[in-house]
Amino acid sequence: MTYLIFGNIAVWLGIGGYLFYLSTIQKRLSLKIRQLEVSADEQ
Amino acid sequence: MSDNSIMVRSIPALAVMGAAGLIIAQYFIWIYAPVEATMGIMQKIFYFHLPMAWWGLICFFVVFCASLVFLISKNPFMDRLSQAAAEMGLLYSALALATGSLWARAAWNTWWTWDPRLSTTLVMWFIYAGYLALRQSIDNPQKMRAVSAVLGVVAFLNVPLVFLSARMWRSIHPAVFGSKGGGLEPEMMTTVLVCIVAWGILTSGILFYRLRQLDIKDRVKNLFIF
Repeated sequence: MTYLIFGNIAVWLGIGGYLFYLSTIQKRLSLKIRQLEVSADEQ
Repeated sequence: MSDNSIMVRSIPALAVMGAAGLIIAQYFIWIYAPVEATMGIMQKIFYFHLPMAWWGLICFFVVFCASLVFLISKNPFMDRLSQAAAEMGLLYSALALATGSLWARAAWNTWWTWDPRLSTTLVMWFIYAGYLALRQSIDNPQKMRAVSAVLGVVAFLNVPLVFLSARMWRSIHPAVFGSKGGGLEPEMMTTVLVCIVAWGILTSGILFYRLRQLDIKDRVKNLFIF
């Protein structure tokens, strides 16, 4: 039973970790786009 | 890849359907599927392990096809598809190895054994980890795309070996869907199919989302190049 719980935790941590990685990339991209928009407006 | 493309528009629907599918899969795993006589409740790890392993292999097949098409067409979309699928495949095969190791501990009393199926899977994992590392290590985008496409095609040579290893060589790893129809009870078969479909829908959603992200990243990069 313990191994089953560990297996479950591993799967959800793995998927969750990857989604978190994607969300940090998305945040960085959004920030970059916003900076580009601001610099384009200034020009 | 425009924001109005079918892929982008289908991301929210796939995410909702995938999540709903996984909730339904929980009912099948914990309530519908019978407890296996020999291993007991521990056998239920199989319902996570098998979809992870299969979708990992399918993702690597996508890497192979996209790399091959890229070498012919030089379409950057195919390169992005290869990267997204390789990331998902690497994650899924890592999870298949982790859940398999836990299953092995309960079934074989060891965390790891150099069985043909396990060994070829580990080799495959390292090859695709190398593939993703290679993509990060080449600065020139054209060169990176060409080199990774070649590796994406060559790396796939190991994938059929992983699939067939349990049938070709003397392996202690069970071949669930064997040539004689496998040894699964109908309820277990239904449950595993529900899990495969649910993970498949979620995988498509995440893959499309990552593709869109890589597309935006490339477009932002191109603004600085030109």
